[in-house]
Amino acid sequence: MGVPAFFRWLSRKYSSIVVHCVEEKSKECNGVRIPVDTSKPNPNEVEFDNLYLDMNGIIHPCTHPEDKAAPKNEDEMMVAIFEYIDRLFNIVRPRRVLYMAIDGVAPRAKMNQQRSRRFRASKEGVELVEEKSRIREEILGKGGYLPPDEIKERFDSNCITPGTEFMENLAKCLRYYVADRLSNDPGWRNITVILSDASVPGEGEHKIMDYIRRQRAQPHHDPNTHHCLCGADADLIMLGLATHEPNFTIIREEFKPNQPRPCALCGQKGHEIKDCQGVAREKQGEHDEFADSMPASEQEFIFIRLCVLREYLERELTMASLPFPFDFERSIDDWVFMCFFVGNDFLPHLPSLEIREGAIDRLVGIYKDVVHKTGGYITENGYVNLERVELIMQAVGVAEDNIFKKRKEDDEGFKRRNKEKKKRMKAQQRGPAYLTGGQFAPQALGGRGRPDVVQNARHQAFDMRMQGRDQHNRDAAQSLKAMMRNGSQAGTSDGQDGRGVKRKAEDSDSEPEPEDNVRLWEDGWKQRYYKTKFDVDATDDDFRKKVVRSYVEGLCWVLRYYYQGCASWKWFFPFHYAPFASDFKDIKGMFTDFEHGTKPFKPLEQLMGVFPAASGNFLPETWRSLMSNPESSIIDFYPDDFAIDLNGKKYAWQGVALLPFVDERRLRAALADVYPDLTSEELKRNSLGSDVLFVGKSHPICDFIQELYRGGSNDVGTEMPAELCHGIQGILNLDEDPILPEKPVQSPIPMLRDIAHNSAIGVKYKDPQFEEDFVFKAVILPGAKHPAKVLKPGDWERGNNRGRGNWRPQLGFNSNRQQVHLDQSAFRTLGHSIDRQQQGGGQYSNAPPPGSYHQGNYSRPPHSAGCGHVPAFPHSRQHGLLGAPPPYNPQQQYPRPQPGGGGGGGGHGWNRAMQSQGSAYQQNMQRGHAGGHSGAQGSFHQPRGHDDRRQDRRDVRGGQQQGFNSGRNYPLPPPARRYNWS
Amino acid sequence: MAEGRSGDDIVSEYLDQNPHLVQWVESLRGVQETNKQWHARREFILRNMEKFPTIQQGFPSPGLDRLLSLSMCWANHIFLGCRYPQPVMNKIKEMGDGVVVNDAPVRKSRDEIMGKGKRTAGGDGDACSKPTKAGPNESRSGNPFKQGPPPQAPAKHQPFFNRLYKAVAWKLVSAGGIGPNLDHFEILRACTESLKETLSCVFVPLKDIPDLPAARTQKEGQVCELRCQTVYLGTGYGRDEAAARSMASKEALKVFQGRKVMVKICRRRFNGRDVEDLVLLDDQPRNPGFPPAISYPFQTEQEGEGPS
Repeated sequence: MGVPAFFRWLSRKYSSIVVHCVEEKSKECNGVRIPVDTSKPNPNEVEFDNLYLDMNGIIHPCTHPEDKAAPKNEDEMMVAIFEYIDRLFNIVRPRRVLYMAIDGVAPRAKMNQQRSRRFRASKEGVELVEEKSRIREEILGKGGYLPPDEIKERFDSNCITPGTEFMENLAKCLRYYVADRLSNDPGWRNITVILSDASVPGEGEHKIMDYIRRQRAQPHHDPNTHHCLCGADADLIMLGLATHEPNFTIIREEFKPNQPRPCALCGQKGHEIKDCQGVAREKQGEHDEFADSMPASEQEFIFIRLCVLREYLERELTMASLPFPFDFERSIDDWVFMCFFVGNDFLPHLPSLEIREGAIDRLVGIYKDVVHKTGGYITENGYVNLERVELIMQAVGVAEDNIFKKRKEDDEGFKRRNKEKKKRMKAQQRGPAYLTGGQFAPQALGGRGRPDVVQNARHQAFDMRMQGRDQHNRDAAQSLKAMMRNGSQAGTSDGQDGRGVKRKAEDSDSEPEPEDNVRLWEDGWKQRYYKTKFDVDATDDDFRKKVVRSYVEGLCWVLRYYYQGCASWKWFFPFHYAPFASDFKDIKGMFTDFEHGTKPFKPLEQLMGVFPAASGNFLPETWRSLMSNPESSIIDFYPDDFAIDLNGKKYAWQGVALLPFVDERRLRAALADVYPDLTSEELKRNSLGSDVLFVGKSHPICDFIQELYRGGSNDVGTEMPAELCHGIQGILNLDEDPILPEKPVQSPIPMLRDIAHNSAIGVKYKDPQFEEDFVFKAVILPGAKHPAKVLKPGDWERGNNRGRGNWRPQLGFNSNRQQVHLDQSAFRTLGHSIDRQQQGGGQYSNAPPPGSYHQGNYSRPPHSAGCGHVPAFPHSRQHGLLGAPPPYNPQQQYPRPQPGGGGGGGGHGWNRAMQSQGSAYQQNMQRGHAGGHSGAQGSFHQPRGHDDRRQDRRDVRGGQQQGFNSGRNYPLPPPARRYNWS
Repeated sequence: MAEGRSGDDIVSEYLDQNPHLVQWVESLRGVQETNKQWHARREFILRNMEKFPTIQQGFPSPGLDRLLSLSMCWANHIFLGCRYPQPVMNKIKEMGDGVVVNDAPVRKSRDEIMGKGKRTAGGDGDACSKPTKAGPNESRSGNPFKQGPPPQAPAKHQPFFNRLYKAVAWKLVSAGGIGPNLDHFEILRACTESLKETLSCVFVPLKDIPDLPAARTQKEGQVCELRCQTVYLGTGYGRDEAAARSMASKEALKVFQGRKVMVKICRRRFNGRDVEDLVLLDDQPRNPGFPPAISYPFQTEQEGEGPS
């Protein structure tokens, strides 16, 4: 979903939904890599049944990674993709199904976005190359040093679109990969693999949803299947919620903001390409021994537990005193629907709803009112009640004016702070440490400013000595000044009008602000908006209604898309901007139904629809010429250059690309003439394909499929026998060029070997089919067991916990997780072998190998009587987090009663240090740490009777805050303890 | 079709005469089009219909699709700010001749935002070329010959003018501020020379200048244009060269009265056609309306075939 901020917002507000993955790394022994045996229990202490991969989220980072050098050729890309899947498989270890979905032809509604992305990408690619060569020349001209430019062809990321040769090749490679793993990897032995490649229409994640939806609707489905979906898009969360499956987890790469990216020219980190100076790399460590050890260089994964999110939402959405019983499942659907207002791939978001400004909280508040008033929910099974939507929109509309004003204020405050920060940073900036400064600073040859002769050597030396010290003084002075300025400005800003402040901002040396003609914060914003964005007068009610109608249709389409599948392949939103919430008047009759029986584009047709002329090389010759020939009857789809409306944003890539829309009729008509020019190979690429199902030899259904192949083809297909495959249903058809056991599989990649002893079998697979007007019910299935609650019960208090049963904060999936412990002798050994000079933190903060979980049976000394609390331990972990690790001090780590808490303690310090839950843990420790300072507050709760069980115990308060950091109805924690996700 | 009347009148008259066309032409309207956009495009289609003889009303045909495509190109260019390959641009310019669009939106193309060459124009320059009527084609398209300052020129010259700005500021302070007895040229000259640069003055007798408003009766005197480092500073008129130079300097010093000076690429007239020129501006975002250029230091390549 086009809402990058959505996940960040979600994980901040509902922080317990995030669980860090435990990943077992393969070991190396005598130079031989020992692969991880994924048939062993999952180290995350949970077992997943199905793993779904939204492959485009994998293909993009593997083919053009942002944080490391790009693979040299296509083969390397494929291997990178294989390794990535292996890694995921190792973490998740599905036991039943692996579903790989590559984006196929998308509904027309998505085409606008795709077009805009591809037109931009194409231009950006060219620009980057140009800029690189220009700066390169400049630097070399100045005598700088740059590593020689590797000769490799530029990878046009636009080829990751269904219908290109690259995608076909990828599908081939993935078939090989699946056959290989099914034949050789013990963890894959019993799983069913479904590969839905780019020739199957539909976006990857929606093909996955369709699969789940259709499985759920058939009677053999196991309602307690544990799903795990891989992908970074925020809309996966919505999709997951929309399934109403109780066990649904999303796995994604942990997003670490502000990761340094290597400069595209010299490959060093720490500067951008335009600041590249071509100086030699600074050594990392005395002998450059840390050159490759970028901290946390490998991306780590996190799980997002939707069942925990459901718990949070239940608290937030539950409404008391309704005239009818509250149905949580229905309110979840409404929540999902409201999230679409804030942004989705198919509609521009409403100008007044910005996720960063708490739009969803606002909507939830309004929503509850509306439900009370109208006595019903706003959606049902993906169908929208427009009357109630209108009420919500009107309520937002009332606030619109204030929202815009507030936005302007916040924006200015932000800019001011940013500017001051920049100033401070500028003062601190310095080149590599080996560059001498002052008198001895390097000077360009022939440059104007030649260094003066040293006048007074002693004085000069003094200056240089003082330079470092002054720097710090200056910094301090600057920040103090900034603070004072802020203070005074805050005092006077009331008197000033907005313009005065703005003038000030312009004074700065920073780049000029893009001018904003709409000025949403000033009266008359609606007229100006319609005038500048749509080029119509505010009096043109018909046009405004047309926009609103399209938007309403869009909302209905999107919700239907999430709950029932694609309602119309043809529908799209034909404008570049959204209307205002207050314009949604009388929308009840605006939408009835979509056109039935629409068909998706063929892959090559879609390529014609989304590619700019510059990417025409992916298309056949005569097709390509339609994109550039002035005589072409669709030349208007392919502008060379197009306007970008920054729309209040700063960078071109954030703006709205004003691209013309594609006229489907004209596109098809123009293509009809060139269809005969397709070669047979291109015809094949242009055809719609089918999902393919693979199993290994030991899978129960393997024999059944082999029988099918022996029996020969039948046109209708064969129903899958549910009992052979965990209740999975579907229709099997014979593949023309199947992968069969004992039939060697050729490797499509030169560096990988052919599979001589193949034991996998592949067959075409089709999801179970239903009547066209079948409605998939958005309900929890009978027989589904809800997973154990994770959040602290609302009425749970420290005082009366004994009667209430015990609740304990939970880090991972397993509430009874065993912790690792060191016994006393281990501590002695550690204390002995780690001398004080060694900076602790780093090497012990790594997660232990999962195998070591059950070691250590250290029994803790009993607690002092009557006190269930032990203080939070200052802890090396959080120091590591804060940057400079302090010297290791065993005194702190070792159990020692702390006066503040008054309780006896166990060896928690180390237990916790060895805790494997990476940073989820750190965050809690940090809180605990902060709490420790403020007295007995931040103490660990220690339920009685569980002393001998090594369970997760966390700072109770921490657990509470974790849940409700930004919840409006709950007390906010003091800011110092807040864990900042990014 | 008659020129000089508003397009809508002509179109409605034409449609009155040919009522069988009304329904057909309305069927060509796109859902997303505003009335304004559609009326302009409808006129474009009707005006150019005869050039595609294969068009039959009511039947889709390749000829119709080509006309529709070109009409969309034209509308996209005018209303969305799209640019197409040059042959297409030439064609739609020709076909769109005579279609009047009032108050077309001003859009910034991606290339312009990214500061890329060809058609770059600073904010002010863009305003100059803001199309008000049929003009859009004339001022937006065309100009195929590559000349004019390179797009990175403003950035290159900016540091020098920042220093010049300071120098002038101090000089004015020491001279007691802007007053009646100030020798403007002397101040400017001294400042530039203190920065190891020279002012270039170009003189042209007033009567030799084209593009003068016809109302202008006075034909005597000299016009002076001041440049420094090829950047245009100001133009002045006077009885003789010294007076003209002084006026030009006075104009130039006005720019230095602002909060800062900026080097920008702007469009202005030169020898009867639009060219891109390097211009020094202050920070006031107003439409300066430059006098036509007298000299043009960016004519490195051969003369292009200007539209006039």
